This record gives sequence, C-alpha cells and structure tokens, in this order.
Amino acid sequence: MIPELVVSDVTVRFAGLVALDAVSFTVRPGSTHALIGPNGAGKSTCFNVLSGVYRATSGSVRFGDAELTASRPHQVAALGVARTFQNIALSPRLTVRDNLMLGRHRLTRSGFVSAGLRLPSARREAVRHGARVEEIAAFVGVADALPTPVGLLPYGTQKRVELARALCMEPRLLLLDEPVAGMNSEERREMADLIVSVRESLGISILLVEHDMGIVMRIADSVTVLDFGKRIADGEPDEIQRDPEVIRAYLGDIEESPS
Amino acid sequence: MSRRSRWITLGAVWGVVVVAAVVAPFYLEGFWLQTGLFAMSAAVGAIGINLLTGATGQLSLGHAFFLAVGAYAYVYLSTDVGLPTPLAAVVAVILAGVAGGLFSPIAGRLKGAYLGIATLALIFGGQHVLFNAEPLTGGYNGRAVPPMELFGFVFADSPGLVLLNVPFGALERLWFLGLLVLAAAAAFARGVLRGRPGLAMNTIRDHEIAAGVMGVPVARYRAGVFVLSSMYGGLAGVLVALVFQRAVPDYFGFLLSLDYLAMIVIGGLGSVAGAVIGAVFVSLLPQLLTRYSDALPLVAEPGSGGVSPAEAARILYGAAVVTVVLFLPGGLLGLATRLRRVIPRIKELRWPNSAPAPASRR
Repeated sequence: MIPELVVSDVTVRFAGLVALDAVSFTVRPGSTHALIGPNGAGKSTCFNVLSGVYRATSGSVRFGDAELTASRPHQVAALGVARTFQNIALSPRLTVRDNLMLGRHRLTRSGFVSAGLRLPSARREAVRHGARVEEIAAFVGVADALPTPVGLLPYGTQKRVELARALCMEPRLLLLDEPVAGMNSEERREMADLIVSVRESLGISILLVEHDMGIVMRIADSVTVLDFGKRIADGEPDEIQRDPEVIRAYLGDIEESPS
Repeated sequence: MSRRSRWITLGAVWGVVVVAAVVAPFYLEGFWLQTGLFAMSAAVGAIGINLLTGATGQLSLGHAFFLAVGAYAYVYLSTDVGLPTPLAAVVAVILAGVAGGLFSPIAGRLKGAYLGIATLALIFGGQHVLFNAEPLTGGYNGRAVPPMELFGFVFADSPGLVLLNVPFGALERLWFLGLLVLAAAAAFARGVLRGRPGLAMNTIRDHEIAAGVMGVPVARYRAGVFVLSSMYGGLAGVLVALVFQRAVPDYFGFLLSLDYLAMIVIGGLGSVAGAVIGAVFVSLLPQLLTRYSDALPLVAEPGSGGVSPAEAARILYGAAVVTVVLFLPGGLLGLATRLRRVIPRIKELRWPNSAPAPASRR
C-alpha cells in the first residue's frame, strides 16, 4: 500500500535567503510527479527536505502517517523513501554489486559482531539479498557491470547504477534528482523508458526533478513548477505547458530549443 | 591468469607465510622475535585504526590512548585486582572499548580531521593521568607486566622449556600467541569490512549524505566504529605490554599515534592487508636501522649525538608517507596489486607469440 506524499507550506530559510517559500503539492500514490523550475528555484532544496537532509524552517511533509520534516535521513529511508542525486553519489572504488548491496542496508540486519564472526545468519542474509540485487541489476540493465568498480564505468551507466541502488531499497516513493542530466539523447530515451517501466512494474510513486522538458512532458502525470522558491503552477503537463506564468518564468524558449 | 592458477598462487603465498611464521621462533634470535612481536601488536592496532580512518574516513590522533588503556588495565586487573591473566586481557580490551564508547558522543558527531583534533585531547589527558595517577600506573617508571598464563602455560622464560633443541623463552612462546591474536583480529576485521557494516562505513567515507539517505544511521555507525577501533587499540596495548614486560607512560605518547597513521598510509588505507604491511614496515625500519647503524652513513650510534636510528627511521618513514601520498595511492598494498596486473603484461610483451596457444595450455 503506497501512501500519499503531502507537502504543505514548507518554508526553508538559509540565514537571510528564502530557498523555499510556503511550497505545497501532493504526489498521488503510484503517480509520476515532476518538480520543475529554473536554476535556483529550490528544487534540490525541496528534495533535501523530503529526504531528511535539510530541516524545514516551517511546514510539514507527510508520507502516510509519518512526518518527514522531523526525521533524520536514515529514518526517512526506513519509511521506504529512496533517492538519487543530481551529481552521482556512489562509492567509486566499490563494485557495482557492493554499491547495490548498500541499498539493502535498511532491509538487512547483520551488525559488527555477526559480520566480523561471519555467522551463518549474516552469510545467509548476504546470499539472499545478493540474489535480489542481481535481479534489480538485470532489470535496470547493469547486470554485466556487477563486478566492476563504479568509478570505471561511463557516466550514463553510473546514473543507472544509482537508480538501481535506490530500487534496491524496495522503495514506496522514489525521488529522482535530474535522472537524465548530462546524458546524450539515446541515453535519455533509455532512461525515460526505464523510469516508466519502474513505475509500471513496481507501482511506486515517483517524484522527479528534471530540466529536460521533453522527458517531463512525456513521463509525468502531474507537474509542480517552482520559481524563486515559490510554487507558480501545479497541474497536468499540458495545462502547465499552456500556463502563461510558467511560460514567462521558465518555458519561454521551449519552441526554439528542441531537446 | 585463470581463476584456478590465481587460487594456486594465492594458496602458495599463504602457505609460505604460515610456514615462515611458524618456524621463525626456531631460527630467529631474541632481538628479531621481539621486533616481530612489536610488529604483530602494531598490526592489530593498525587494523583497528584502518577500520576507523581508512574505511570510514574518521581521523584519530588519539589511538595511543587506547593502547595505554589496554596495557594499564591489563596490569591493574591482573596484579591489583587479581583476575586470571586471560580474563584480565579480555576485560582490558572491553575497557578500551568502554573508553572509546565514552568518547563516542564526540566521535559520532565530528567528522574527518575535526575528530582527529578532538582526539588529541585523549593523548594529552591520558599522558597526564599516566604520569600522575601513581598508585594505578606507577608514574614515570611505569609498572611491571605480569606474564600471561593460559591453562597453566606461562608465557615467560621460566619454567624453562626446550623444543627441538631450541630453548623456548617468553618471546618464543608469545610469538605463537601473537600470531593467533593477529590472525583472529585480521579475520574479524575482514569480515566486518566485507559485510554489511563495511559497505556502510565505506559509503560514510565516500558520501556521507548518500549513506544517510540509503538508511545508514551515520552518527551511530561512526560511534560504533570508533568503539571497535578503540578495542583493537586496547588489544594492541595488551600485546605490546606482554612483549615489553613493562608499561611506561612515555611510550603511549603522540608519536605512537602518528606511527599508527604512518602505518596505514604507507601500507594502504581501508584494508586489513594494508594495515598489516604498513605495521610491519614501520616496526621493522627503526630496528633495522638500529641493528645496522654502524654500517649506514649519516646514522649515528644511539646516544652519540648524531641522528639516532630512531630519528633516522622517523625521517625515512616521513619520506615514505610523502612518497606514498604523491605517487602510490593505495600504499604498498596498492603497489603490489598494480605489479600483479603489470607483470603478466610485461611477459606478453617479451614473448609475443606465446600467449595464444590453446593446445599447449593443459
């Protein structure tokens, strides 16, 4: 059962700067929701609030019964909220398999003693979750790279590995921070297809920040637009495309730049 | 190299290491046995600090303090409290962990170099206590360390014991105890590093925010690793006290902490093997220089005014640290892995025709 994510009146202030100003939106269960806006609009700040990295100055974020603004990052993760990062945040020297196994952290239990003594319970756990990691790697298309250190992989593959790691948490809500940034058009299309198939096969909610309007319009069910920390529009993609406020703030040049 | 031949090579290397370690006390003189034992205790401590600094990215300059806790707790518990020595050793290690645990509210919150600076306080506080709490620590002159006694077997020179015509004194006996302790400590640390906690630790080092978001309670892990690492320090302290047979406060100073950092940097950050290699290197170097000081230029006899062997060793491994940082990311262990990758390629260059010959492969 996937709960709703309800962001209401979230304000974040850094000293004098208002990064988010009373922002509200709702991610319906099982939908793909896009958060867009020009650079500095507060999208990444919003993600950091949702994942417990930043604390909101005021306002609330509810995921089902849980209040996310009062939680630490690992507590948010324990609720089944996974995220990826705008700049890849994998461990470059660890193999893809190890990076994905970290995604199983919240679902596994073995601690210092059982891992150090290699107790059978720890070993069984590693085998069981290793099998699931392989399934997810195959689903995302990085199965061949499992034994390779992440740092040696091309950028586009690393982006996929990061998505795979988030999926390894068996999330109920997936936060994707610019999943196709820096990719070529071929990779973009593949990643968009992948996101669609994640949503279809797992039925989870996805909230994504993305600059590529083509992708947003294609895969999002609803869109929230931020500008200078304020919500300026919220609705279906085609409504958003026609919204004069949005066109003025952000989409003004979409006709000229075919992306 | 095929998988099978790699296993065979690996097995052969380990076989040689194990056999050499077992026969060593039958051939080496006391001086080298003592050096080897110091290296073993250093290896245990270095594994501990590599868990903290190498694998988790948390600097500690205070590990000499935990060695002191282990060493003095062992002396106190066995001599003054009268616990059986093996029990005293175990409790000493636990006490070092408790000391680490008391510091863990700080160790969990500070990261990287900031923790390093905070741990300096442990060294100076510890030194003050060691010098002044005389009833407990014996003050400047330290205290004698009672020999370990395990199931009636005493790790001391008397009662005498002769094995294969070799008199087995304290050092020969301790040698095997040291090997066992080191092997167990290394195996445990390897299990931790390869398992779920190791992945969490590495991710905290590489990307703290990502670790948190993936469900790792970062502060709790930092504190936990600090406790584990201080227990390794305590164990190293017990070992070194048993070998040295006296615990003196001077030994557990700031320089010892720096030695440990030099070990893991030189050997290779973040791995058990790196810690052991670095510990052997840093422990052997001053002894080699002492032993052969008369044959070396620029190194004077101890006490004759010039650069003493101990100082020369510090300068040398200072240079080694700089060299490693500049040219050998991964330390000596990294160098070994790189050589292993390069050597087969050199062979192919030399015998370009021999590589693809499937018929002759069996």
